[in-house]
Amino acid sequence: MIWDILIRAAVVGILLSVLLSVMSYFVVLRKMTFAGVGIAHSAFGGIALSFLLGLGGYLLPIVFSVLSSLLIAFMYKKGKMSEDSAIDVIFVFSMAFGVFILSMSDGYSANMLGILFGNILSVSYVDFILSLFVFVFGFLFIAYYFSHFQLMSYNEELAYISGVRVDVLYYMFWVVLSIIIVLAIKLIGIILVNAFLVLPTLVGLNLAKNYKNIVFVSMLSSTISIIAGISIAYLLDTPAGATIVLVFILLWVFSIAYNKIKT
Amino acid sequence: MISIEHLTVKCDNKIILDDISMDIKKGEFVGILGPNGAGKTTLIKAILGLLDFPYQGSVKIDGLSAKEYMKIKRGLIGYLPQHAIVNWNMPIRVIDAVLIENVKPFGLFLKHSKRDMAAAEHWLSVFGVAEYKDTYIRELSGGQQQRVSLARCMIHNPELLILDEPNTAIDAVYNAKMYEILKELSRKNNMTIVMVSHDIGAVTTYVDEVMCLNVKLHCHGSVKNIDFATVFKEVYGKDMEIVIHGNQCKNCVVNKGSIR
Repeated sequence: MIWDILIRAAVVGILLSVLLSVMSYFVVLRKMTFAGVGIAHSAFGGIALSFLLGLGGYLLPIVFSVLSSLLIAFMYKKGKMSEDSAIDVIFVFSMAFGVFILSMSDGYSANMLGILFGNILSVSYVDFILSLFVFVFGFLFIAYYFSHFQLMSYNEELAYISGVRVDVLYYMFWVVLSIIIVLAIKLIGIILVNAFLVLPTLVGLNLAKNYKNIVFVSMLSSTISIIAGISIAYLLDTPAGATIVLVFILLWVFSIAYNKIKT
Repeated sequence: MISIEHLTVKCDNKIILDDISMDIKKGEFVGILGPNGAGKTTLIKAILGLLDFPYQGSVKIDGLSAKEYMKIKRGLIGYLPQHAIVNWNMPIRVIDAVLIENVKPFGLFLKHSKRDMAAAEHWLSVFGVAEYKDTYIRELSGGQQQRVSLARCMIHNPELLILDEPNTAIDAVYNAKMYEILKELSRKNNMTIVMVSHDIGAVTTYVDEVMCLNVKLHCHGSVKNIDFATVFKEVYGKDMEIVIHGNQCKNCVVNKGSIR
């Protein structure tokens, strides 16, 4: 039974983290890390509301998160206030709203900890099927439009005159990312999901030079972190989400050392 | 080829371009001069349909609106944006940068075709950077990056080439060579080139037509027919000493000229 749960958690973790790794390539290269962090935290309000209403499931968190991400993306692109300030407003609003809502529900602390740090052992068959579906859809989306996003990251004006529908793809990117994030939150929590938005590409950039290799290394490093993290958590009885991220940090430190030695 | 009529662009009630009208013929090499904030880049963006600001008037390329032209003749426009707004930290090789506008579905899994590679190598060689084709763009100097961008602009043999300060970071020796290549391309391929530059000496030496812009269009015509001393006084707000540069052009202004 425990193996069944662990394997299911590992598979869901690998699927979502591999997907986040590919997305992280563009989040890091376009210097939108803070926007990613903002979107991850903006899911908090939706999840808290879902708890209070006893709805469960993903519908409300996904709707809340997608709307927040579109708002962040809109302010990031078109807003007259500074991008960081715009993201910060949505970020703190959602966190405050989530805490306010959770304080009205029973088991405030347990729910809070669950959302912030995730519970990998709570992955159900529904989560498994949904993650599989999101992985296939998300991976096809990012793989299909990879060269479009590559050109947008290089220069958006060039992308526009080359026929890329820059605005549509920009918003689609954030919608897909926010759906993946909501699913991943259950696994490793809001705080730790940010690690998967940044660390995979940082490891990739240290170990590889070409973009294809960077994406491959980032997916590999995420997979290693998930498998090693879950295994260590099982053996040492430590929190799985935190252990996964600590393993990832260790991988990143090794990648820096490798890069320094090589150069 | 390009027809602009009564173009006025405003941003937060500030007028950036004021009632600009002009025509650029096919095969012409046009240089746009003007001080910082004169609206040169805005004019280029209006031609490319990239304007974010509300505007009045019309911009037509071959009788089509900029957006229609982009749709129909996609790939036949080469555009070199200002060096500073390109993400040079991308982990791509020079050859990938030259071919970056070849957007294709599932590009992550595709390799460049031999034909595309040959074209990229040809244009890298024309701009003297072929030896760096496998180098990563972030490892190049600013001038080398700019030459890679010029090669990228040429990859589809465009009929319209729009260059926003192409000589940024390019050294003095290669600068002259670059303008000669552009002049030759304009003449041989009947390519229309619109170039924004702060290099007054080079612009007046190599281009067919000069436009002097400072919110309003102060002059537009052949280099030979423009009274630069008067126009520059209007556009830059300073007296400029006009110095004859060799025998290339009797009206050219070079760096020796002092601004009083």
